Amino acid sequence: MEFTLEEGRNLSADCPSILLPGLSIGNVGQLAVDLLISSTGAKRVGFLDEPSLLPCVGNDAYGPEPEGVLALPLEAYESPPHALTLIQQRSPVIKGMMVEFAKNLADFVSSIGKKHVIILSSLDSGRMKKIVASSDMQVYYVSSTNNDGNDSDCERLGFKRLEEYDPTQRRWKYLNELAEGKTDHEDEPSFEDELVHDDYYPGLPFAALFSCCKAKGLKVTCLLCYCSEGDNIADSFQLADAACKLLRLTPDKLSGHVEGGWNIPLSWQSVYGPPPDMSLF
Amino acid sequence: MEDVVTESPPPSRFFQEDLDNFATPPPPLPPPLLLLDPKLGPDHIRPPLLIVALSAPSLAVLHRIPHKILIGTLILPETPLAGNSLEPCPRDRSCYIYAVDHRPASAVLVAVQFPVAAERARAVAKSLLGAIQAERVLIFGSIGSQNYRGRLAVDETLAFKLETVEERSGGQPLVQGVDYLPSGSVMDGLGAAVIAECQMRRAKGTLVATWPANGRSTVVPIIRSLLQGLSIDVGASDADDEFDAGWSFSSRYVSDLYT
Repeated sequence: MEFTLEEGRNLSADCPSILLPGLSIGNVGQLAVDLLISSTGAKRVGFLDEPSLLPCVGNDAYGPEPEGVLALPLEAYESPPHALTLIQQRSPVIKGMMVEFAKNLADFVSSIGKKHVIILSSLDSGRMKKIVASSDMQVYYVSSTNNDGNDSDCERLGFKRLEEYDPTQRRWKYLNELAEGKTDHEDEPSFEDELVHDDYYPGLPFAALFSCCKAKGLKVTCLLCYCSEGDNIADSFQLADAACKLLRLTPDKLSGHVEGGWNIPLSWQSVYGPPPDMSLF
Repeated sequence: MEDVVTESPPPSRFFQEDLDNFATPPPPLPPPLLLLDPKLGPDHIRPPLLIVALSAPSLAVLHRIPHKILIGTLILPETPLAGNSLEPCPRDRSCYIYAVDHRPASAVLVAVQFPVAAERARAVAKSLLGAIQAERVLIFGSIGSQNYRGRLAVDETLAFKLETVEERSGGQPLVQGVDYLPSGSVMDGLGAAVIAECQMRRAKGTLVATWPANGRSTVVPIIRSLLQGLSIDVGASDADDEFDAGWSFSSRYVSDLYT
Protein backbone atom coordinates (compact mmCIF):
# COMPACT_ATOMS: atom_id res chain seq x y z
CA MET A 1 0.00 0.00 0.00
CA GLU A 2 1.51 3.32 -1.05
CA PHE A 3 0.78 6.56 0.74
CA THR A 4 1.17 9.97 -0.89
CA LEU A 5 0.85 13.12 1.17
CA GLU A 6 -1.28 15.88 -0.22
CA GLU A 7 0.80 18.91 -1.20
CA GLY A 8 1.61 21.01 1.84
CA ARG A 9 0.24 18.49 4.35
CA ASN A 10 1.84 16.28 6.97
CA LEU A 11 0.59 13.58 9.27
CA SER A 12 0.11 14.97 12.75
CA ALA A 13 1.77 13.36 15.73
CA ASP A 14 -1.16 14.53 17.84
CA CYS A 15 -3.76 12.16 16.43
CA PRO A 16 -3.32 8.87 18.29
CA SER A 17 -6.70 7.45 17.28
CA ILE A 18 -7.72 6.37 13.80
CA LEU A 19 -11.19 5.57 12.49
CA LEU A 20 -11.75 3.09 9.66
CA PRO A 21 -14.91 1.85 7.98
CA GLY A 22 -15.49 -1.88 7.59
CA LEU A 23 -17.43 -2.60 4.40
CA SER A 24 -20.80 -3.98 5.35
CA ILE A 25 -24.49 -4.16 4.70
CA GLY A 26 -25.93 -0.71 4.13
CA ASN A 27 -22.45 0.86 3.85
CA VAL A 28 -23.06 2.13 7.38
CA GLY A 29 -19.39 2.33 8.37
CA GLN A 30 -18.55 4.39 5.31
CA LEU A 31 -21.53 6.70 5.86
CA ALA A 32 -20.53 7.18 9.49
CA VAL A 33 -16.97 8.08 8.50
CA ASP A 34 -18.36 10.52 5.91
CA LEU A 35 -20.44 12.15 8.63
CA LEU A 36 -17.51 12.41 11.02
CA ILE A 37 -15.15 13.84 8.38
CA SER A 38 -17.74 16.41 7.40
CA SER A 39 -18.68 17.31 10.97
CA THR A 40 -15.18 17.55 12.43
CA GLY A 41 -13.97 19.57 9.45
CA ALA A 42 -11.17 17.04 9.01
CA LYS A 43 -8.77 17.91 6.18
CA ARG A 44 -7.46 15.44 3.68
CA VAL A 45 -3.79 14.76 4.29
CA GLY A 46 -3.07 12.06 1.75
CA PHE A 47 -4.05 9.29 -0.62
CA LEU A 48 -3.53 5.57 -0.29
CA ASP A 49 -2.97 3.33 -3.28
CA GLU A 50 -3.90 -0.27 -2.67
CA PRO A 51 -3.77 -3.00 -5.35
CA SER A 52 -6.70 -4.94 -3.87
CA LEU A 53 -9.10 -2.00 -4.18
CA LEU A 54 -11.24 -1.41 -7.26
CA PRO A 55 -10.76 1.99 -8.91
CA CYS A 56 -13.28 4.75 -8.31
CA VAL A 57 -13.04 8.55 -8.44
CA GLY A 58 -15.45 11.41 -7.93
CA ASN A 59 -15.87 15.05 -7.02
CA ASP A 60 -15.45 16.38 -3.48
CA ALA A 61 -17.85 14.50 -1.21
CA TYR A 62 -18.03 17.06 1.59
CA GLY A 63 -18.55 20.56 0.21
CA PRO A 64 -20.04 22.96 1.08
CA GLU A 65 -19.74 23.40 -2.69
CA PRO A 66 -18.47 20.83 -5.20
CA GLU A 67 -15.32 22.62 -6.29
CA GLY A 68 -13.85 19.75 -8.24
CA VAL A 69 -11.51 18.35 -5.58
CA LEU A 70 -10.77 14.84 -6.82
CA ALA A 71 -11.86 12.08 -4.45
CA LEU A 72 -9.97 8.79 -4.60
CA PRO A 73 -10.92 5.28 -3.37
CA LEU A 74 -8.87 5.41 -0.16
CA GLU A 75 -7.99 8.66 1.55
CA ALA A 76 -6.64 9.79 4.91
CA TYR A 77 -8.09 12.78 6.77
CA GLU A 78 -7.03 14.41 10.01
CA SER A 79 -8.61 16.66 12.59
CA PRO A 80 -5.90 17.67 15.08
CA PRO A 81 -8.34 19.60 17.32
CA HIS A 82 -10.13 16.27 17.87
CA ALA A 83 -6.88 14.26 17.90
CA LEU A 84 -8.35 12.07 15.21
CA THR A 85 -7.27 10.52 11.92
CA LEU A 86 -9.91 9.02 9.64
CA ILE A 87 -9.59 6.81 6.61
CA GLN A 88 -12.43 6.73 4.12
CA GLN A 89 -12.86 3.87 1.68
CA ARG A 90 -15.10 4.50 -1.30
CA SER A 91 -14.81 1.40 -3.43
CA PRO A 92 -15.05 -2.35 -2.87
CA VAL A 93 -12.19 -4.76 -2.38
CA ILE A 94 -11.51 -7.29 -5.12
CA LYS A 95 -13.31 -10.50 -4.22
CA GLY A 96 -11.02 -12.80 -2.28
CA MET A 97 -8.55 -10.04 -1.36
CA MET A 98 -10.12 -8.80 1.86
CA VAL A 99 -7.53 -10.28 4.20
CA GLU A 100 -4.71 -8.95 1.99
CA PHE A 101 -6.33 -5.53 2.11
CA ALA A 102 -6.74 -5.68 5.88
CA LYS A 103 -3.11 -6.70 6.35
CA ASN A 104 -1.86 -3.85 4.17
CA LEU A 105 -4.06 -1.34 5.97
CA ALA A 106 -2.95 -2.62 9.37
CA ASP A 107 0.69 -2.35 8.27
CA PHE A 108 0.09 1.26 7.24
CA VAL A 109 -1.73 2.19 10.43
CA SER A 110 1.02 0.65 12.50
CA SER A 111 3.74 2.41 10.46
CA ILE A 112 2.31 5.86 11.18
CA GLY A 113 2.31 5.26 14.90
CA LYS A 114 -1.39 5.08 15.70
CA LYS A 115 -2.33 3.82 19.14
CA HIS A 116 -6.03 3.06 18.89
CA VAL A 117 -7.90 1.79 15.85
CA ILE A 118 -11.68 2.14 15.82
CA ILE A 119 -13.53 0.20 13.14
CA LEU A 120 -17.09 1.19 12.28
CA SER A 121 -19.27 -1.40 10.61
CA SER A 122 -22.71 -2.98 10.54
CA LEU A 123 -24.32 -6.40 10.72
CA ASP A 124 -27.30 -7.89 8.98
CA SER A 125 -30.30 -7.61 11.27
CA GLY A 126 -31.58 -10.84 9.73
CA ARG A 127 -28.80 -12.59 11.60
CA MET A 128 -29.85 -11.50 15.05
CA LYS A 129 -30.55 -14.47 17.28
CA LYS A 130 -33.12 -12.63 19.32
CA ILE A 131 -34.90 -9.41 18.72
CA VAL A 132 -35.73 -7.21 21.66
CA ALA A 133 -37.57 -3.93 21.65
CA SER A 134 -34.44 -1.81 21.86
CA SER A 135 -32.21 -4.04 19.73
CA ASP A 136 -32.18 -1.63 16.82
CA MET A 137 -30.68 1.08 19.05
CA GLN A 138 -28.03 -1.09 20.66
CA VAL A 139 -24.41 -0.64 19.65
CA TYR A 140 -22.24 -3.73 19.87
CA TYR A 141 -18.49 -3.92 20.18
CA VAL A 142 -15.48 -6.21 19.98
CA SER A 143 -12.26 -5.10 21.63
CA SER A 144 -8.68 -6.34 21.64
CA THR A 145 -8.33 -5.37 25.30
CA ASN A 146 -9.26 -8.85 26.53
CA ASN A 147 -9.21 -12.24 24.85
CA ASP A 148 -12.97 -12.55 24.96
CA GLY A 149 -13.40 -9.17 23.27
CA ASN A 150 -14.54 -7.41 26.42
CA ASP A 151 -13.57 -3.85 27.35
CA SER A 152 -14.66 -2.02 30.48
CA ASP A 153 -14.74 1.42 28.81
CA CYS A 154 -17.16 0.13 26.20
CA GLU A 155 -19.29 -1.53 28.84
CA ARG A 156 -19.44 1.71 30.78
CA LEU A 157 -20.64 3.51 27.69
CA GLY A 158 -23.53 1.10 27.34
CA PHE A 159 -22.15 -0.86 24.37
CA LYS A 160 -22.79 -4.56 24.36
CA ARG A 161 -20.08 -7.10 23.66
CA LEU A 162 -20.78 -9.07 20.50
CA GLU A 163 -21.50 -12.53 21.86
CA GLU A 164 -20.72 -14.11 18.52
CA TYR A 165 -17.07 -13.11 18.86
CA ASP A 166 -15.38 -16.32 19.92
CA PRO A 167 -11.65 -16.51 19.20
CA THR A 168 -11.77 -20.29 19.69
CA GLN A 169 -14.39 -20.74 16.96
CA ARG A 170 -12.94 -22.36 13.85
CA ARG A 171 -13.24 -19.41 11.49
CA TRP A 172 -12.10 -16.82 13.97
CA LYS A 173 -9.08 -19.02 14.67
CA TYR A 174 -8.31 -19.40 10.98
CA LEU A 175 -8.70 -15.66 10.43
CA ASN A 176 -6.25 -14.96 13.25
CA GLU A 177 -3.78 -17.37 11.70
CA LEU A 178 -4.13 -15.62 8.34
CA ALA A 179 -3.64 -12.25 10.03
CA GLU A 180 -0.54 -13.41 11.84
CA GLY A 181 0.87 -14.95 8.69
CA LYS A 182 0.90 -18.40 10.16
CA THR A 183 -0.99 -19.79 7.20
CA ASP A 184 -2.37 -18.70 3.85
CA HIS A 185 -5.50 -19.29 1.79
CA GLU A 186 -4.03 -22.44 0.25
CA ASP A 187 -3.97 -24.06 3.68
CA GLU A 188 -7.59 -23.23 4.36
CA PRO A 189 -9.20 -25.99 6.37
CA SER A 190 -12.10 -27.68 4.74
CA PHE A 191 -15.24 -25.83 5.64
CA GLU A 192 -17.38 -28.14 3.58
CA ASP A 193 -19.93 -28.46 6.32
CA GLU A 194 -22.91 -26.26 5.89
CA LEU A 195 -22.15 -22.80 7.17
CA VAL A 196 -23.38 -22.32 10.68
CA HIS A 197 -24.65 -19.07 12.12
CA ASP A 198 -21.38 -18.27 13.85
CA ASP A 199 -19.48 -18.48 10.54
CA TYR A 200 -21.12 -15.24 9.42
CA TYR A 201 -19.25 -12.87 11.72
CA PRO A 202 -15.64 -13.89 11.13
CA GLY A 203 -16.32 -13.75 7.38
CA LEU A 204 -17.06 -10.03 7.47
CA PRO A 205 -14.57 -7.29 6.56
CA PHE A 206 -14.59 -5.79 10.06
CA ALA A 207 -13.33 -9.12 11.40
CA ALA A 208 -10.39 -9.12 8.96
CA LEU A 209 -9.48 -5.55 9.93
CA PHE A 210 -9.84 -6.39 13.62
CA SER A 211 -7.68 -9.51 13.39
CA CYS A 212 -4.97 -7.89 11.27
CA CYS A 213 -4.71 -4.75 13.43
CA LYS A 214 -4.66 -6.91 16.55
CA ALA A 215 -1.87 -9.03 15.03
CA LYS A 216 0.20 -5.82 14.68
CA GLY A 217 -0.15 -5.18 18.40
CA LEU A 218 -2.57 -2.28 17.96
CA LYS A 219 -5.43 -1.61 20.33
CA VAL A 220 -8.60 -2.16 18.29
CA THR A 221 -12.25 -1.51 18.99
CA CYS A 222 -14.99 -2.46 16.54
CA LEU A 223 -18.29 -0.62 16.90
CA LEU A 224 -21.18 -2.39 15.22
CA CYS A 225 -24.89 -1.96 14.74
CA TYR A 226 -27.50 -4.22 13.21
CA CYS A 227 -29.36 -2.90 10.20
CA SER A 228 -31.16 -3.86 7.00
CA GLU A 229 -30.55 -2.65 3.46
CA GLY A 230 -32.42 0.54 2.76
CA ASP A 231 -32.01 4.12 3.87
CA ASN A 232 -29.15 3.66 6.33
CA ILE A 233 -28.53 7.30 7.14
CA ALA A 234 -30.05 6.91 10.60
CA ASP A 235 -27.82 3.90 11.27
CA SER A 236 -24.76 5.96 10.33
CA PHE A 237 -25.76 8.66 12.82
CA GLN A 238 -26.05 6.03 15.52
CA LEU A 239 -22.61 4.62 14.77
CA ALA A 240 -20.97 8.02 14.46
CA ASP A 241 -22.51 9.01 17.78
CA ALA A 242 -21.11 5.86 19.38
CA ALA A 243 -17.66 6.66 17.98
CA CYS A 244 -17.87 10.14 19.50
CA LYS A 245 -18.76 8.64 22.89
CA LEU A 246 -15.79 6.30 22.72
CA LEU A 247 -13.48 9.16 21.77
CA ARG A 248 -15.02 11.45 24.37
CA LEU A 249 -16.12 13.89 21.71
CA THR A 250 -19.35 15.85 21.92
CA PRO A 251 -21.33 15.73 18.64
CA ASP A 252 -22.89 19.10 19.40
CA LYS A 253 -19.46 20.71 19.52
CA LEU A 254 -17.70 18.83 16.72
CA SER A 255 -17.74 21.56 14.12
CA GLY A 256 -16.80 24.34 16.48
CA HIS A 257 -19.74 26.40 15.29
CA VAL A 258 -22.03 28.08 17.76
CA GLU A 259 -25.01 26.12 16.48
CA GLY A 260 -22.97 22.88 16.62
CA GLY A 261 -24.44 19.60 15.50
CA TRP A 262 -23.73 17.24 12.65
CA ASN A 263 -22.66 18.59 9.27
CA ILE A 264 -24.33 16.58 6.48
CA PRO A 265 -21.87 15.77 3.66
CA LEU A 266 -22.64 17.35 0.31
CA SER A 267 -22.60 13.96 -1.46
CA TRP A 268 -25.53 12.75 0.70
CA GLN A 269 -27.89 14.95 -1.29
CA SER A 270 -27.93 12.27 -3.95
CA VAL A 271 -26.75 9.22 -2.02
CA TYR A 272 -29.83 7.23 -2.99
CA GLY A 273 -30.19 8.63 -6.47
CA PRO A 274 -32.32 11.45 -7.83
CA PRO A 275 -35.79 12.21 -6.48
CA PRO A 276 -38.71 10.62 -8.36
CA ASP A 277 -39.76 12.18 -11.63
CA MET A 278 -42.75 14.26 -10.61
CA SER A 279 -43.78 14.82 -14.22
CA LEU A 280 -45.35 11.37 -14.02
CA PHE A 281 -48.07 12.78 -11.80
CA MET B 1 -39.20 -7.99 -16.03
CA GLU B 2 -36.10 -8.48 -13.96
CA ASP B 3 -36.12 -11.14 -11.31
CA VAL B 4 -36.11 -9.25 -8.04
CA VAL B 5 -34.37 -12.15 -6.34
CA THR B 6 -31.42 -12.45 -8.67
CA GLU B 7 -31.06 -9.02 -10.23
CA SER B 8 -27.96 -7.02 -9.43
CA PRO B 9 -28.23 -4.98 -6.28
CA PRO B 10 -28.43 -1.22 -6.73
CA PRO B 11 -25.14 0.66 -6.72
CA SER B 12 -23.13 0.65 -3.48
CA ARG B 13 -24.81 -2.48 -2.26
CA PHE B 14 -22.86 -5.68 -1.83
CA PHE B 15 -23.43 -9.31 -2.50
CA GLN B 16 -22.52 -11.29 0.59
CA GLU B 17 -19.80 -13.13 -1.33
CA ASP B 18 -18.12 -9.83 -2.15
CA LEU B 19 -17.60 -9.22 1.57
CA ASP B 20 -16.43 -12.73 2.43
CA ASN B 21 -12.97 -12.84 4.00
CA PHE B 22 -12.67 -16.48 2.99
CA ALA B 23 -13.57 -16.13 -0.68
CA THR B 24 -10.95 -17.63 -2.95
CA PRO B 25 -8.56 -14.99 -4.27
CA PRO B 26 -8.48 -14.56 -8.04
CA PRO B 27 -5.72 -16.40 -9.87
CA PRO B 28 -2.67 -14.17 -10.42
CA LEU B 29 -2.33 -12.82 -13.93
CA PRO B 30 0.81 -11.81 -15.78
CA PRO B 31 1.37 -8.05 -15.81
CA PRO B 32 0.25 -6.04 -18.85
CA LEU B 33 2.80 -6.01 -21.64
CA LEU B 34 3.52 -2.57 -23.03
CA LEU B 35 5.59 -2.55 -26.20
CA LEU B 36 7.02 0.68 -27.56
CA ASP B 37 9.10 1.22 -30.69
CA PRO B 38 12.71 0.95 -29.45
CA LYS B 39 13.71 3.74 -31.85
CA LEU B 40 11.56 6.24 -29.96
CA GLY B 41 13.20 9.36 -28.74
CA PRO B 42 12.55 10.88 -25.33
CA ASP B 43 9.95 13.24 -26.85
CA HIS B 44 7.56 10.35 -27.27
CA ILE B 45 8.16 8.88 -23.84
CA ARG B 46 7.82 12.29 -22.17
CA PRO B 47 5.31 14.05 -24.40
CA PRO B 48 3.61 17.29 -23.43
CA LEU B 49 0.25 15.52 -23.60
CA LEU B 50 -0.99 11.95 -23.26
CA ILE B 51 -4.54 11.32 -24.47
CA VAL B 52 -6.24 8.07 -23.43
CA ALA B 53 -9.42 7.24 -25.36
CA LEU B 54 -11.73 4.78 -23.64
CA SER B 55 -15.21 5.73 -24.81
CA ALA B 56 -16.61 4.84 -28.22
CA PRO B 57 -17.02 8.50 -29.31
CA SER B 58 -13.43 9.33 -28.31
CA LEU B 59 -12.12 6.27 -30.14
CA ALA B 60 -14.03 7.35 -33.23
CA VAL B 61 -12.43 10.81 -33.07
CA LEU B 62 -8.97 9.45 -32.34
CA HIS B 63 -9.03 7.15 -35.35
CA ARG B 64 -9.77 10.06 -37.63
CA ILE B 65 -6.79 12.09 -36.41
CA PRO B 66 -4.41 12.45 -39.35
CA HIS B 67 -0.62 12.20 -39.34
CA LYS B 68 -0.46 9.83 -36.40
CA ILE B 69 2.24 7.18 -36.23
CA LEU B 70 1.81 3.84 -34.53
CA ILE B 71 4.52 3.62 -31.87
CA GLY B 72 3.40 0.82 -29.62
CA THR B 73 0.76 -1.39 -28.16
CA LEU B 74 -0.39 -2.67 -24.77
CA ILE B 75 -1.32 -6.32 -24.47
CA LEU B 76 -3.32 -7.97 -21.73
CA PRO B 77 -2.49 -11.70 -21.83
CA GLU B 78 -6.05 -12.63 -20.92
CA THR B 79 -7.54 -10.71 -23.87
CA PRO B 80 -7.98 -12.98 -26.90
CA LEU B 81 -6.52 -11.57 -30.11
CA ALA B 82 -8.49 -13.82 -32.43
CA GLY B 83 -10.01 -11.84 -35.24
CA ASN B 84 -7.58 -8.94 -35.00
CA SER B 85 -6.10 -7.70 -38.23
CA LEU B 86 -2.40 -7.19 -38.93
CA GLU B 87 -2.81 -3.46 -39.50
CA PRO B 88 -4.37 -1.28 -36.80
CA CYS B 89 -8.10 -1.41 -37.13
CA PRO B 90 -10.66 0.40 -34.99
CA ARG B 91 -12.66 -2.83 -34.57
CA ASP B 92 -9.75 -4.82 -33.19
CA ARG B 93 -9.58 -5.83 -29.57
CA SER B 94 -6.31 -4.03 -29.14
CA CYS B 95 -4.73 -1.09 -27.43
CA TYR B 96 -2.84 1.05 -29.93
CA ILE B 97 -0.40 3.78 -28.99
CA TYR B 98 0.20 6.55 -31.49
CA ALA B 99 2.29 9.68 -31.67
CA VAL B 100 1.16 12.89 -33.23
CA ASP B 101 3.95 15.25 -34.09
CA HIS B 102 2.00 17.78 -36.03
CA ARG B 103 3.16 21.21 -34.96
CA PRO B 104 2.29 23.15 -32.89
CA ALA B 105 0.94 20.36 -30.77
CA SER B 106 2.42 16.96 -30.16
CA ALA B 107 0.88 14.22 -28.15
CA VAL B 108 0.80 10.49 -27.53
CA LEU B 109 -2.58 8.91 -28.12
CA VAL B 110 -3.74 5.63 -26.57
CA ALA B 111 -6.78 3.92 -28.08
CA VAL B 112 -8.06 1.29 -25.65
CA GLN B 113 -10.25 -0.91 -27.82
CA PHE B 114 -10.96 -3.77 -25.43
CA PRO B 115 -12.75 -3.93 -22.10
CA VAL B 116 -10.42 -3.81 -19.13
CA ALA B 117 -11.75 -5.59 -16.06
CA ALA B 118 -11.92 -3.37 -13.01
CA GLU B 119 -9.51 -5.70 -11.22
CA ARG B 120 -6.90 -5.09 -13.96
CA ALA B 121 -7.40 -1.37 -14.39
CA ARG B 122 -4.79 -0.33 -11.84
CA ALA B 123 -2.11 -2.50 -13.44
CA VAL B 124 -2.90 -1.09 -16.91
CA ALA B 125 -2.80 2.48 -15.59
CA LYS B 126 0.56 1.90 -13.94
CA SER B 127 1.95 0.36 -17.13
CA LEU B 128 0.82 3.28 -19.28
CA LEU B 129 1.91 6.06 -16.96
CA GLY B 130 5.12 4.29 -16.02
CA ALA B 131 6.21 4.11 -19.65
CA ILE B 132 4.75 7.39 -20.96
CA GLN B 133 5.46 10.21 -18.52
CA ALA B 134 3.54 13.08 -20.02
CA GLU B 135 3.39 16.59 -18.64
CA ARG B 136 -0.37 16.36 -18.80
CA VAL B 137 -2.81 13.48 -19.19
CA LEU B 138 -6.27 13.67 -20.71
CA ILE B 139 -8.65 10.73 -20.47
CA PHE B 140 -11.95 10.35 -22.30
CA GLY B 141 -14.43 8.00 -20.66
CA SER B 142 -18.16 7.42 -20.46
CA ILE B 143 -20.55 8.07 -17.62
CA GLY B 144 -21.94 4.81 -16.29
CA SER B 145 -25.66 4.94 -15.57
CA GLN B 146 -25.12 2.84 -12.44
CA ASN B 147 -22.63 5.40 -11.08
CA TYR B 148 -24.46 8.62 -11.87
CA ARG B 149 -26.72 9.99 -9.16
CA GLY B 150 -28.80 12.21 -11.39
CA ARG B 151 -31.16 11.39 -14.23
CA LEU B 152 -29.73 10.25 -17.53
CA ALA B 153 -31.95 10.58 -20.57
CA VAL B 154 -30.85 8.78 -23.75
CA ASP B 155 -31.56 11.89 -25.78
CA GLU B 156 -29.53 14.16 -23.53
CA THR B 157 -25.82 14.84 -24.02
CA LEU B 158 -23.69 15.42 -20.96
CA ALA B 159 -20.01 16.11 -20.41
CA PHE B 160 -18.26 16.47 -17.06
CA LYS B 161 -14.68 16.51 -15.92
CA LEU B 162 -12.53 15.56 -12.96
CA GLU B 163 -9.04 16.94 -12.40
CA THR B 164 -6.13 16.07 -10.18
CA VAL B 165 -5.14 18.58 -7.51
CA GLU B 166 -2.09 19.57 -9.56
CA GLU B 167 -4.20 20.23 -12.66
CA ARG B 168 -6.67 22.36 -10.70
CA SER B 169 -3.97 24.42 -9.07
CA GLY B 170 -1.64 24.64 -12.04
CA GLY B 171 -2.98 27.71 -13.82
CA GLN B 172 -5.10 27.48 -16.95
CA PRO B 173 -7.00 24.17 -17.03
CA LEU B 174 -6.46 21.83 -19.95
CA VAL B 175 -10.21 21.39 -20.46
CA GLN B 176 -12.38 24.50 -20.24
CA GLY B 177 -16.07 25.03 -20.50
CA VAL B 178 -16.95 21.66 -18.93
CA ASP B 179 -18.50 21.38 -15.47
CA TYR B 180 -17.16 19.13 -12.75
CA LEU B 181 -18.85 15.78 -12.22
CA PRO B 182 -21.60 16.35 -9.62
CA SER B 183 -20.70 15.34 -6.09
CA GLY B 184 -22.06 11.89 -5.25
CA SER B 185 -21.58 10.51 -8.76
CA VAL B 186 -18.48 8.48 -9.49
CA MET B 187 -16.41 7.12 -12.34
CA ASP B 188 -14.92 3.64 -12.20
CA GLY B 189 -12.85 1.35 -14.37
CA LEU B 190 -9.74 2.22 -16.33
CA GLY B 191 -10.50 5.94 -16.56
CA ALA B 192 -10.69 6.16 -12.78
CA ALA B 193 -7.52 4.12 -12.41
CA VAL B 194 -5.56 6.35 -14.79
CA ILE B 195 -6.55 9.62 -13.13
CA ALA B 196 -6.01 8.10 -9.69
CA GLU B 197 -2.52 7.05 -10.76
CA CYS B 198 -1.95 10.61 -12.02
CA GLN B 199 -2.91 11.87 -8.57
CA MET B 200 -0.63 9.42 -6.79
CA ARG B 201 2.23 10.65 -9.01
CA ARG B 202 1.15 14.26 -8.42
CA ALA B 203 0.77 14.67 -12.17
CA LYS B 204 -1.64 16.92 -14.05
CA GLY B 205 -4.56 14.78 -15.15
CA THR B 206 -8.07 15.41 -16.47
CA LEU B 207 -10.84 12.87 -16.98
CA VAL B 208 -13.66 13.91 -19.30
CA ALA B 209 -16.76 11.77 -18.88
CA THR B 210 -19.51 11.92 -21.49
CA TRP B 211 -23.00 10.57 -21.97
CA PRO B 212 -24.45 8.72 -23.81
CA ALA B 213 -21.75 6.07 -24.05
CA ASN B 214 -22.34 5.49 -27.75
CA GLY B 215 -23.51 8.98 -28.56
CA ARG B 216 -21.34 9.46 -31.58
CA SER B 217 -23.55 12.03 -33.24
CA THR B 218 -23.81 14.19 -30.12
CA VAL B 219 -20.64 13.52 -28.14
CA VAL B 220 -18.14 13.39 -31.00
CA PRO B 221 -18.47 17.14 -31.75
CA ILE B 222 -17.74 17.90 -28.07
CA ILE B 223 -14.59 15.80 -28.09
CA ARG B 224 -13.47 17.23 -31.44
CA SER B 225 -13.95 20.74 -30.10
CA LEU B 226 -11.96 19.98 -26.93
CA LEU B 227 -9.07 18.55 -28.93
CA GLN B 228 -9.13 21.41 -31.42
CA GLY B 229 -8.89 23.74 -28.43
CA LEU B 230 -5.62 21.96 -27.62
CA SER B 231 -4.39 22.56 -31.19
CA ILE B 232 -4.77 18.88 -32.09
CA ASP B 233 -5.69 18.39 -35.75
CA VAL B 234 -8.73 16.10 -35.61
CA GLY B 235 -9.16 15.81 -39.36
CA ALA B 236 -12.35 16.42 -41.32
CA SER B 237 -15.63 15.72 -39.69
CA ASP B 238 -17.99 13.31 -41.33
CA ALA B 239 -21.64 14.15 -40.97
CA ASP B 240 -22.48 10.51 -41.23
CA ASP B 241 -19.92 9.44 -38.77
CA GLU B 242 -21.10 5.87 -38.34
CA PHE B 243 -17.50 4.96 -37.76
CA ASP B 244 -17.80 2.29 -35.17
CA ALA B 245 -14.76 1.96 -33.02
CA GLY B 246 -14.07 0.38 -29.73
CA TRP B 247 -15.02 -2.80 -28.01
CA SER B 248 -18.52 -1.74 -27.03
CA PHE B 249 -19.51 -2.05 -30.67
CA SER B 250 -17.14 -4.74 -31.82
CA SER B 251 -18.06 -7.01 -28.93
CA ARG B 252 -21.38 -7.68 -30.64
CA TYR B 253 -19.53 -9.30 -33.50
CA VAL B 254 -16.40 -10.73 -31.95
CA SER B 255 -16.40 -14.21 -30.61
CA ASP B 256 -13.66 -16.73 -30.06
CA LEU B 257 -15.80 -19.12 -32.13
CA TYR B 258 -15.28 -17.08 -35.25
CA THR B 259 -11.93 -16.01 -36.63
